[in-house]
Amino acid sequence: MNATNGNGGASKYITLVSKDGFEFVVLREATLCSDYIKGMLRNNMTEARTGRCELQDINGVILEKVVEYFHYWYKYRDREDVPDMEIPVENCLELVVAADYLGMDSKPH
Amino acid sequence: MSRQQNNRPGRQIRGPQSALTDFLASHNISANQIRLDADARRRAAEQENGVTAPSNEPSAEQQAAEDEVGESSTLTTTVTVTTRTSRRKTDQKVIDKIKASKTYQKRKRNAGNDDEEDDLLDAMLRDRASLPGQMDNCANCGKRFTVTAYSRNHPDGGLLCSPCGKEMDKDAPPKKKPAKRVATGPVGRRRQVQSKILDGTFQLGAKSLMSLCIETLAKNIDLAEDLGDLPQPVIDKIARKLSKQRLLNPTTLSLFLQPTTDEVCIYDGAKLSANDYIRIFQTVPGLKKLKARNAIHFKDEVMDFLVSRKTELEDFYLHGSNLIDEEKWLEFLEKKGKSLKSLRVYWTDKHFGDSALAALPSSCPSLVRLKVCHNQKVTGEGIKHLAELKHLKHLSIDLRNHVHSDIYVQVLSSIGRNLETFSITREIDLDNTVLDAIHNHCRSLQKLRITDSEVMTDEGFARLFTKWENKCLLFVDLQKCRQVDSAHPRENPDNIGLCDKGFKALMAHSGRKIQHLNVHGCRHISAEAFEAVFPANGKKIYPELKKLEISFCEEVSDFIVGSIFKCCPNLHELNVFGCMKVKSVRVPKGKILVGVPNAVGMVIEGVDDDEE
Repeated sequence: MNATNGNGGASKYITLVSKDGFEFVVLREATLCSDYIKGMLRNNMTEARTGRCELQDINGVILEKVVEYFHYWYKYRDREDVPDMEIPVENCLELVVAADYLGMDSKPH
Repeated sequence: MSRQQNNRPGRQIRGPQSALTDFLASHNISANQIRLDADARRRAAEQENGVTAPSNEPSAEQQAAEDEVGESSTLTTTVTVTTRTSRRKTDQKVIDKIKASKTYQKRKRNAGNDDEEDDLLDAMLRDRASLPGQMDNCANCGKRFTVTAYSRNHPDGGLLCSPCGKEMDKDAPPKKKPAKRVATGPVGRRRQVQSKILDGTFQLGAKSLMSLCIETLAKNIDLAEDLGDLPQPVIDKIARKLSKQRLLNPTTLSLFLQPTTDEVCIYDGAKLSANDYIRIFQTVPGLKKLKARNAIHFKDEVMDFLVSRKTELEDFYLHGSNLIDEEKWLEFLEKKGKSLKSLRVYWTDKHFGDSALAALPSSCPSLVRLKVCHNQKVTGEGIKHLAELKHLKHLSIDLRNHVHSDIYVQVLSSIGRNLETFSITREIDLDNTVLDAIHNHCRSLQKLRITDSEVMTDEGFARLFTKWENKCLLFVDLQKCRQVDSAHPRENPDNIGLCDKGFKALMAHSGRKIQHLNVHGCRHISAEAFEAVFPANGKKIYPELKKLEISFCEEVSDFIVGSIFKCCPNLHELNVFGCMKVKSVRVPKGKILVGVPNAVGMVIEGVDDDEE
């Protein structure tokens, strides 16, 4: 999905591409919890224009979980009482690395 | 329909009945009775042929057959539901006898449906021999024994004699303690939210992915063999989480001991032994920074080992190590002090004293950070020697012995120029001379903490902050600097403690950059001062202020709290414990208000955030 609007308006969705070529289409707003992606989507970067972020260090399985987290975070972003998302045990170490890489830390935004 | 003498107040709910049953009933033929007879006949026939009855007990229908008043028998209070198979094993004659008994019939009429009738049958079976005091055959070994209140039930029905009961208990797995119930329900959830606010972990929205992953990791830590090469901040987070749940033990410690790391942080060393601490030094040769809290078993032998190794520690933080002898401390400082840049010793009451501090200037010339917290042995004598630590930038003292202010003045006049942190906690008699010394000598101070002073006056604070050549302070903690005099609780004629003038001067000096301010307990700061510092029209802005604590400042009201939110756009947390005039303030989204003295607690502004 390309976001090549002449007047610089960004499309609502962006595409995240994993190391092994899997593509995930996500709401742009939902990815704002990741400092790394937020930085990539700033005004003059290539990714901001094409709406497509290539994440070379994350594989498909982990990226899928990350995208699931994005939607979970977006859905509950203003609520007080939030149920925890399930993290599968076998992936949690790799997910920690991915979370650190993407800057999805527990800082107040 | 069924014949009932009086209109019994029993259950009148009846399910659907077949037309045939109705027809038979109208002719006084009970379908139930017919079925029972048929079953009895069938069973008798099968027993003759030597075939065990595969069919289950007949499930009774709802119709009652008789309505005679029967004999009474006492029921035990425990009714155990046995399976259908168990009843099969029991003597069929006994069952028939029960069914024929009048009590059963009477109770069956009141019972509603199939299951209850089965339960009823079971219950009455129990009665036959389950009374304490009666004799019964053990279901396991067949011996005769006296039934007591403690006789165990055999899983297939019947009771066990006491030896067999003990056997069964041994074989059965130990009773698992019920897991702690997480707060559920509206009251529980609200309590959880309030608790989180107090802990400082409250946030709107979902937890971060990092937190979720680390929680999962902590829950399954026994499955983890190796943490791989995660970056240091992540490892630190994992260490904190494990320590919080008391999961740090010799096994999980290995996860953090990687030969390539130079930093080991043990936030809870309660389960570690001396050998584990020795292991740290063995497996991590390049260790530069060691932080061990609750390090109870960091004993002399560990210190000996450390001294004998080539480990060049730069940052040493020990908390709770009371078993290290004084000589060992001196030996450590002498042999390992050259590279030491930061030494922080907490809660070591008896063996870390003046002699250790006296040794510091000579053995630790490059010491930059010193913190002695909660110590009973250090006195003014030891503090005097700190004046010789020329490179010291961060000084933090929390002693139980009284140290005269003059000593601090001496220290400040010597090293005050380079000091960036100056923190004296719970020194009751610290007086204005120290404030003046800070004013005169400190030029690079960023963090200032003076608490519990009962002698310092407002004038002293005002003198400190007025025309001070120090740049803006980032962190100020002047909690509990107030008058403590039970004879004159309200009047403060000498203006002891931080009051209006001092507060205004403080904010005028550091307001531009201040990030963290704590004036807990400075109850003499008047409303007028608050309103001057935080004007309602938002004219004065404190852009960096993130955490403000004004608890127990009596004059704080709703209006002032509202003004504070206007003047501090990046404020994250405001603490107003004990400010009884704060009744109902709307908190802008994203901010936290702790300590509102009513049951509702913090009320977050909903959708209408017009302040943004």
